Amino acid sequence: MPCRVLLFLSILLASAMWSEMIEIKHLRKEFDDDTIPLKDINVTINKGDIISIIGPSGTGKSTLLRCINMLTEPTSGSIIVDGQDITERGCNLNEVRKHMGMVFQSFNLFGHLTVIENIMNPQITLLKRSRQEAYDKAMYLLQSVGLASKVFNYPDELSGGQQQRIAIARTLAMDPDIILFDEPTSALDPSMIGEVQSVIKLLAKTGRTMMIVTHEMDFARKISNRILFMYDGEVYEEGTPKEIFEHPKKEMTRKFIQRLSSLTYRIDSTDFDIEAMNEELHSYGEKLLIEAERLSKLLLALEEICINNIASYSDTPDILVKIEYSEKSDILTMTIKYNGEYLDVNSCESKLFKLLLQEPTTGLSQKELVDDELGYHHQIVMTFKWIEE
Amino acid sequence: MKKFIVVLLMLMCITSLFAYSSIDELDGKNIGVQTAVLYEELIMDRLPKATFQYYTMPNDMILALTSGKVDAYLIEQVSFGVQKKNHPELTTLSEPAGYINATCIIGNNEKKDRLLSEINAFIAKSRANGMLDEIYDYWIADFDPDTDTCDVTGFTGENGQISVAVEGGYEPFSFISHGTISGFDVDFICRFCREYGYEPVFYEVPFEAIAPGVETGKYDVGMNIVVSAERNETGTLTDVYYKTPIELVVLGEDKAELGFFEKLQQSFYKTFIKENRWKLFVQGAGETILITFVSIIAGSAIGFGVYMLCRHGNKVANGLTNFILWLIHGMPTVLLLMILYYIVFGSSRLSGTWVSVVGFSLMFACSMIDMLRVGYNAIGKGQLEASTALGYSDYQSFFKILLPQAAHHFLPIYKNEVVTLIKETSVVGYIAVLDLTKISDLVRSRTYEAFFPLILTAIMYFVIATIMTKFVDWVEKKIDPKRRSHEKILNGIKEWD
Repeated sequence: MPCRVLLFLSILLASAMWSEMIEIKHLRKEFDDDTIPLKDINVTINKGDIISIIGPSGTGKSTLLRCINMLTEPTSGSIIVDGQDITERGCNLNEVRKHMGMVFQSFNLFGHLTVIENIMNPQITLLKRSRQEAYDKAMYLLQSVGLASKVFNYPDELSGGQQQRIAIARTLAMDPDIILFDEPTSALDPSMIGEVQSVIKLLAKTGRTMMIVTHEMDFARKISNRILFMYDGEVYEEGTPKEIFEHPKKEMTRKFIQRLSSLTYRIDSTDFDIEAMNEELHSYGEKLLIEAERLSKLLLALEEICINNIASYSDTPDILVKIEYSEKSDILTMTIKYNGEYLDVNSCESKLFKLLLQEPTTGLSQKELVDDELGYHHQIVMTFKWIEE
Repeated sequence: MKKFIVVLLMLMCITSLFAYSSIDELDGKNIGVQTAVLYEELIMDRLPKATFQYYTMPNDMILALTSGKVDAYLIEQVSFGVQKKNHPELTTLSEPAGYINATCIIGNNEKKDRLLSEINAFIAKSRANGMLDEIYDYWIADFDPDTDTCDVTGFTGENGQISVAVEGGYEPFSFISHGTISGFDVDFICRFCREYGYEPVFYEVPFEAIAPGVETGKYDVGMNIVVSAERNETGTLTDVYYKTPIELVVLGEDKAELGFFEKLQQSFYKTFIKENRWKLFVQGAGETILITFVSIIAGSAIGFGVYMLCRHGNKVANGLTNFILWLIHGMPTVLLLMILYYIVFGSSRLSGTWVSVVGFSLMFACSMIDMLRVGYNAIGKGQLEASTALGYSDYQSFFKILLPQAAHHFLPIYKNEVVTLIKETSVVGYIAVLDLTKISDLVRSRTYEAFFPLILTAIMYFVIATIMTKFVDWVEKKIDPKRRSHEKILNGIKEWD
């Protein structure tokens, strides 16, 4: 009998630990200039969650984070914190915010106060702690972020990494239920990113609820239990780090994770302006630091396959060329989809192209397409690597 | 200084070589005239090509003549008599430019009709019994600036007070002697008041401000108004109470005889020692300090209050504030003061000093709002975001986080604004306040000396400005958070090792 009671109690405890903490429903934000950074966001944050929000720039990641503590007021929707909708009028936001810490991209330490006061004063003013209590807490935290020697320094005397660690200590001093990190390392020199990340990693181990907007994929992957991929004002895909980083289900997620950039051309007449495409490809290559030699190989293949062969068979060619470059794997890929007569690439006659095909860094696969979403029948995929594996 | 004097003397010699003898020779030349006396109308037709230059104080024209800025100037015969005593090098053309008739102008208020008939009756009676001629001889024909005195007592005041606007720096008509107002105009109006049971209150106002002040009803009587057709249309004028020829003054053959140091010594004596004139300077400095100090305190408080109302972008409050800022910033100080004195507070009996305080408080409040806006905008908005995210209320954020940082940005500007304000107060003489500049003008009008009054006044402004800025400096240091000692920051806390 007592055994059952214990079991029951532990279930209760566990359910309390993993209970819902913040529930975001149909959140929408429109700015005055008609941009809509958030379209319809539905997220539940559980106690103990460490959620990383990733996604391309300008997709509303920071806006979502800022809406959670109402620094940005949403246009519609609700945010329920401990059963209370904080978007409602009359909600005591200052009280809510005392339980939510926020760490900013630009640190925002109070410039007129010393390090120790930056951590002490909010405790004294807002939590009514005694000066001694506040000091003890501040010193403890300063030691844990490794900056106990900077007690009397002013923020502008410290490096960015040091400032951000103090900003984290300031937030922690308030004993928040959740900490919101808004791109905490984006404004830092690469040499300082590590020190801040390791402080956040330590925090993660203490079981604190956290939500982090970041561009550091490896960091997000290591630290979080959930990843939100945001795209175009919506949570486009959500899952565990493994799901999102290793098996992304959706197109844009995959592109983002592999850091793909692509160009698409449609060739639908015989007098296709190859010069214009040539120029665009070169500036694309320059932007992504793709070697000129590799680009000219791609162009050679493109000209041989599309212009000299497929397009020459018909007066109304229908070819779609997609060029993608993955920064992550350093592979340049050309996908050619076309309709009409089937072409075996290996039968092309150009000598240069034949040599190219034999190079170990060049990959080729061709297949018939069934149920292609754009209605193409054939596909040729060529890959260009820089270094032989 | 010596070089300057030598150049000046040489210039005087050169100009005296071309002495003028008839009015017509002055055509195409520069002629000085006091602002608002309208003497130029007497010779305009004869000298169509002459250029007139306007001076506020009669004695400034002497300097203008000796330094060659004008070739001649117009002044009443009586005033010239006084000037000649101190400046023997001056002479007049044989033919006077014309004659002027002087009247009093009656204030445009409820006392108007009564005062007009009473003064006219008094003039008629005094002319009949010879009293007007008697005081004309006393003050004008036989004027002795050191011994002539005016009885400004013996008023019953049974019919109330009347406010009288006089120039105050215009010997022998109205001037400060031994610290009190004196002169022909003063004597005349005092006699009138004694007879009709009034008590006069004198206001020293620049000539050009007398007529407008009287027309708004601010003053009951304005003295020494020259009759002209235009003035008769707008103002209510009494009968003529004296008539005097207007002379054209040019440089003659006489030269100054005293040596440089003797002159300096005499000048110092006349400026400060004689008639205890230093007391006037002290009084003027006190007035300037009072206006500046009260305006700074009140202006800062008003500016801060208005800024707090506008801080959240309340459209009504901001619209109104921006309108007033635009209005006040766009207006010359002296105009603002005159509008306040004659129009806004025209019917009230608020003294010029307090009207100045109101005017300068408004101006300083406007600057204060601007300064706070600049200071506030200089702090990144991240500071407000950080404090808000921590849970600080709006007021806590403002006073604990934003204001201390904004102060750091706007206090240096504040200091400048204080100095500007002190200097700007020098125009309050226009509304009958005897501040430092006005006192300096009045003393100069008695002594015919420019050096000491001007230099001393400049020094006193400098001292006042320095004291005020040192005070702001002290405050700035006192509230600068970065100057606190470690002990103060952790006051009352047991520190960790």
